[in-house]
Amino acid sequence: MQISPHTGSQLVDLCSALLLLTCFAIVAQRRLSACVDLFALQSAFLVLTAALVAFLTGNPHIYIAAGLTGLIKVIIIPRVLKKVIERLNVKRELVMNINVPAGLLICGALVMLAFFITQPIIPLGFLLTRDSLAIALAIVLIGFFTMIARQKAVTQLVGFLVMENGLFLGATAATYGMPLIVELGVFFDVLIAALIAGIYTNRLQDAFDSVDTTHLTVLKE
Amino acid sequence: MSPIIQSLLLVTAQVIVLLTVSPFLVGLIRKVKARFQCRQGASVFQPYADLAKLFRKQPVISTTTSWIFTATPYILFASTLSAGLLVPTFTTQTPLNFAGNIIALVYLLALGTFFLILAGLDAGSAFGGMGSSREAIIASLTEPAMILSIFAIALTAGSTNLSTIVHKTALLEGIATDPSPHLMALAALFIVALAETGRVPVDNPATHLELTMIHEAMVLEYSGRYLALIEWAAGLKLAVFLSLIANVFAPWGIATTLAPTTMGIGLVVYVVKIAGLAVLIGVIECMFAKLRLFRVTDLLGVAFILALLGLLFFYILRS
Repeated sequence: MQISPHTGSQLVDLCSALLLLTCFAIVAQRRLSACVDLFALQSAFLVLTAALVAFLTGNPHIYIAAGLTGLIKVIIIPRVLKKVIERLNVKRELVMNINVPAGLLICGALVMLAFFITQPIIPLGFLLTRDSLAIALAIVLIGFFTMIARQKAVTQLVGFLVMENGLFLGATAATYGMPLIVELGVFFDVLIAALIAGIYTNRLQDAFDSVDTTHLTVLKE
Repeated sequence: MSPIIQSLLLVTAQVIVLLTVSPFLVGLIRKVKARFQCRQGASVFQPYADLAKLFRKQPVISTTTSWIFTATPYILFASTLSAGLLVPTFTTQTPLNFAGNIIALVYLLALGTFFLILAGLDAGSAFGGMGSSREAIIASLTEPAMILSIFAIALTAGSTNLSTIVHKTALLEGIATDPSPHLMALAALFIVALAETGRVPVDNPATHLELTMIHEAMVLEYSGRYLALIEWAAGLKLAVFLSLIANVFAPWGIATTLAPTTMGIGLVVYVVKIAGLAVLIGVIECMFAKLRLFRVTDLLGVAFILALLGLLFFYILRS
């Protein structure tokens, strides 16, 4: 089956647009477990995008990266996070550093910023995925913003993972993916980071009876 | 056939279609909800009987009200109906094509909402005032989202005239066919439609006895033919939004010429499409709980951002 480059490029754009859409859903979502589900959904869209790019360009190593993303980010990490959330005494985040409507507006501004930054670079590219670069940068910025705006360790971790998704999309968009050995290293790092953060969240819960990271800024005797 | 007679016929046809189809949509949504709750439910044609009954009843008007109270049902009904004439239904030729575009549509609907808010305050009851204040919050938040999503669509089609937009999309000519802006605008417009027509995540249309009601609180003082007009206008507004969504985002099957056969097919397809959307709304009403009033801003914030993203994507992906 052959897809014309124009249609292929549009499909990639559509998939990356869906990725960005889930970012906004994460910013607007207060329930912790729903945030994790949305992250799993976003990773599933990422798998779809990567598989699409692999199919369109015929680079088999992107399939492997997509498969690993599916295994680690759609299945393992959400499971680990769900386990962590089960132990917590909070189900939803009521107090945030920045409230939801303001956060959404800031994220809208971040998308515009990403667009203006990548605007001079994109026409220089010749890959069919080049338009996704703006979206990838926007996802990284929104993930970063989520880490700032939220107080609970779990949602901060989700923000971190969203950033990582954005980086993966950016690498796929800009260069059709990094060398496989680098991808493998990154996946391993992300998995370990998620596991460590999960353990750290549990310790936080035990020490302070809360997963609010602002407790860490004050000294405890 | 001279153009004047032709457009008069079109106006008449569209008025008849909108007026007959709107109570059916309301009845259909109620039926879907009833079936989901394992009830038999009233017939889908029950709203027609309700309207007929209300038109025969004697209206009771509070002595403390001013002319706004009695004028509002007529203004609301007329403005919603004229908004309906700006939206393509079964043919891409809208009757009031020459008179206005989507911006006119948005503000015709806003005119009706404005008078309804005034009428809610007019009777001086606490419920009416509360309903009006809430309606004002929601209307002010939906308006930017609706305008932006409509601009996103207008940009892809290169025109703000609904007739042109739908015609071009139906024939797939001269359209930037990138799906992302359309997708975002569709999601935004759907949320706006739910909020504007007082559907479940925002308002509960099935209650008269709840502190959280919005639309029902404003019309609490109305009775008889005035209530009938307001209910019918609410149904019309639903029909207008559903036609807008169905025809702008999925215009397939709509009549692009004025030949009788294509118009017939267009009419059937149109009724099927909006009935499908009405069923979808019924399902949503059964699956989701009503949001707390102060969380509605979150939902409408999402709608606004989606519409904004639709606009941005148009520029990002144009290259």
